[in-house]
Amino acid sequence: MKKSKIICRQLIYLVMILFLVSLTVEAQRMRHNSGGSRNKSRNTSVNTNNRQNRSINGGYNKPTTRDYSKQNVNRQQKPTTRDVNKSNIKQTNNSINNSLPNNNRNINSGNRNTNINSGNRNVNINNSRNVNINNNMYVRPPVHPYPRPPYTYGGYRYNAYHPYHYHGYHPYYWGPAYHPWGFFVATIAVTAIIVNANNQKYYYDQGVYYEKSGSGYTVVQAPDGATIQVLPEGYQTVVVNETTNNYYYGGTYYEKTSDGYTVVPPTAGTVVENLPEGGDEVKVGDKTYVKIGDVYYQPIVVDGENKYEVVDVTPVSDSE
Amino acid sequence: MRIIFVGLLAVILNINLYAQESHIDTVAIMILNKMGTLIGELESCSFTLKTSSDEIDVNLGLVKYFKVNQVYLVGPDKMLINSRGDKGHIGYWYNGEKLMYYSYTENNYGVIDAPPTIMATIDTVHTRYGIDFPAADFFYPTFTEDLIADFDQIIFAGQSQVDGKNSYQIIAKNDQMSIQIWISDDALFLPTKFVIVYYDISPNQQFEGTFSDWRLNPELPNEMFEFSPPPGASQLILLPKY
Repeated sequence: MKKSKIICRQLIYLVMILFLVSLTVEAQRMRHNSGGSRNKSRNTSVNTNNRQNRSINGGYNKPTTRDYSKQNVNRQQKPTTRDVNKSNIKQTNNSINNSLPNNNRNINSGNRNTNINSGNRNVNINNSRNVNINNNMYVRPPVHPYPRPPYTYGGYRYNAYHPYHYHGYHPYYWGPAYHPWGFFVATIAVTAIIVNANNQKYYYDQGVYYEKSGSGYTVVQAPDGATIQVLPEGYQTVVVNETTNNYYYGGTYYEKTSDGYTVVPPTAGTVVENLPEGGDEVKVGDKTYVKIGDVYYQPIVVDGENKYEVVDVTPVSDSE
Repeated sequence: MRIIFVGLLAVILNINLYAQESHIDTVAIMILNKMGTLIGELESCSFTLKTSSDEIDVNLGLVKYFKVNQVYLVGPDKMLINSRGDKGHIGYWYNGEKLMYYSYTENNYGVIDAPPTIMATIDTVHTRYGIDFPAADFFYPTFTEDLIADFDQIIFAGQSQVDGKNSYQIIAKNDQMSIQIWISDDALFLPTKFVIVYYDISPNQQFEGTFSDWRLNPELPNEMFEFSPPPGASQLILLPKY
């Protein structure tokens, strides 16, 4: 008799606990019905509630349903593969991002006018950054396969033979005759010669190419195919492969041809000691490159010396 | 007493859930909700997060990198992160208008326009620039909702010790990854640790973070969220991903 009383009491307790749990469930369902919905935009806007205004995240959104079956979860996008280095597990499909301006990925870095000529020539400084430069330089593909996987960021692969080793970008001074792209001069030296490339006339003087521009001349990127007879003073020989050298001066690459020395695009993997003025340090994810025109240079160290390697940048879709 | 109560709930509710053929553990959700509610009510906080991440080296296999992050948040629009680790020393300052990046290692900095709240900034910077802030997931207002939506199983795995502190362990799993979260078994329900194991990238590749030095609603001066580049620092252009 006593035993049956104990069992009865235990049963009552169990029923009471279950009843309490059911009440909790119902209470949350009711709150859900009167509350917000996941389909609404993410709670990143400022709330009217003063306390929520000052919250670090705008206030917590409790899951709005007790039914956790997948059919009832309104996801606009399923999870995508994430970089293992990222701690975020949150998916980023939300209204904030959709309203962001789609910035142009290309950074115009080749026409900065910061060099002031202190020589005795009649030179005007053009402070405009809007000089129209024909940035048609591209990078020739590498000679050998790369020994390591590329660094991937934003849908592009950045390949280099040498490991990345950051050092600051300090433009090299090639002498008073050198001017960066975009530099404007009212008169040009009498030693300047005319060179033709791509059916266009350029003026060349001591490693620098000019285009007629209004009442003067503007320094431009060396046009591919332009040929000169004598390399500018201060050029460096850079190795492209076992049989080919390039001659490098002020960001321009020359190759020996039957007619003289012809301007060529840089070859991916080429290592140079110095970079000219007019580049920008660009942070590409975890790495900082120097971008001159359309060419990315990776800072590297070779035998203890700071150098730069021409990076092979390819869209991910190109190699897949 | 609390342990007994949670245990009882776990047993009862698990019976219910199995009956419904669901893999979402209500006790786990309850604990996550507690944590999320507390974080959502904070007006400021600071904490330290020690992280380790695996990266694949072609020659060496998985290589682990460590980082110590000090995080300061003041709602709704101030954030400072000081991150020091194997890959350098970096600071981020967010003042409600701009996010400023500075590399102590490289002595260079970049500035980008930022949205008006911490969470929108974290989201934007992640999407646009691939920059991840430490343990950002825990601060999303929809953290639990997102777990429910993205993971097939979320279970309460019992209790364990994290740095000598009793913690509830919750495991969420889907085809791509599993996430283990430890939440303190005390009045505050703060996250103490998490481990992410990736299945789809490389076997056993992990990201791990351990929280410490939590300070809740501290008084933090606005000035600490402003950045002035040191003399000699060069300015970078931060290249967006798209």
